[in-house]
Amino acid sequence: MFYLSLIEHTLRLPPQLLGLPLNEAIKGVLESLFLDKVIANLGLCISVYDIRSIDGGFVFPGDGASTYTVEFRLVMFRPFVGEIITAKLKESDSNGLRLTLGFFDDIYIPVHLMPNPSHSEPDPEKKNQVIWMWDYQEQKFPIDGIGEISFQVQSVTYPPIPVEQPKESKPFAPMVIIGSLDYDGLGPVSWW
Amino acid sequence: MKIKKANAGALTNFEVLDFLRSRGAAKDPTRVIAPIAASEFKVYDYLVESAACNQTREHINEFLKKCQKYDLAKAEILNIINVRPSSPVEIDPIIEECEKRIGEGIEELIELVETVLPAPPSQPNTEDEVVADDGEQQPPTAAEGMETEN
Repeated sequence: MFYLSLIEHTLRLPPQLLGLPLNEAIKGVLESLFLDKVIANLGLCISVYDIRSIDGGFVFPGDGASTYTVEFRLVMFRPFVGEIITAKLKESDSNGLRLTLGFFDDIYIPVHLMPNPSHSEPDPEKKNQVIWMWDYQEQKFPIDGIGEISFQVQSVTYPPIPVEQPKESKPFAPMVIIGSLDYDGLGPVSWW
Repeated sequence: MKIKKANAGALTNFEVLDFLRSRGAAKDPTRVIAPIAASEFKVYDYLVESAACNQTREHINEFLKKCQKYDLAKAEILNIINVRPSSPVEIDPIIEECEKRIGEGIEELIELVETVLPAPPSQPNTEDEVVADDGEQQPPTAAEGMETEN
């Protein structure tokens, strides 16, 4: 689920941070730049693991801040295809399920990757939501919001940033994970 | 920004949890003081409820040594350590071509996982036993506590 990535970046250290020890100041700037942001093809940045080297410290003319070239490692969240992850149900509608990990919400299980055969029934409690049921051997197993759901990662995509978005559409998701429930041992943990 | 190495090493959930703990993450209210960002806390909250929270480095090393004879791919070993399956049906989606490669040895592998890696906090079998014990013990200790105070 998690990988280390080695990155080199040239960053500006704002003058108000110059009072701190260098390591801490640079770490602070790196965290504000990368934490909780998605880097294309690398994944979601969770944390700054360590700083390998700091170079530079030049002050360019006309600038009050010093510039450093830093080499550091980031802990990235990037599941591999075929990995099994347990997550909680966030919402379920006629297009499929949406699961959340707490720190990452854009996990979708589309209709064609649900356990086969299954059908949906309108949820009596919430409007616009449906409950998916798995029909197995004459019995119905509902996918409810209690407990965790195991799914297998089918693909991880990084859609390109749209230039303009119509108002009121879903906020743009820079990293989308498509999962599948269509295998033995997948689905709500309580089933197995 | 230059990406020097996109993959400088895979981390198990336990290693990420250990890293966050060593920086001061915890469940209790001291989290406001710890130098950890809110987004990192969300990761901590997720990991602490998964199978990783009871593991130690020794467990992982022991498991790595003992599972070598099964010839599993690195990704499969990583997945097993993260998920900690307790039955053959849970291991099936993790290992590709499970029947062909391991077949009968699957029971042995499950036993190896159960003995070497500690159970996660919310697995049904162990939880039922623990809850039963606590249910019996709690009332006496509470009563004893009150008597000693008086």
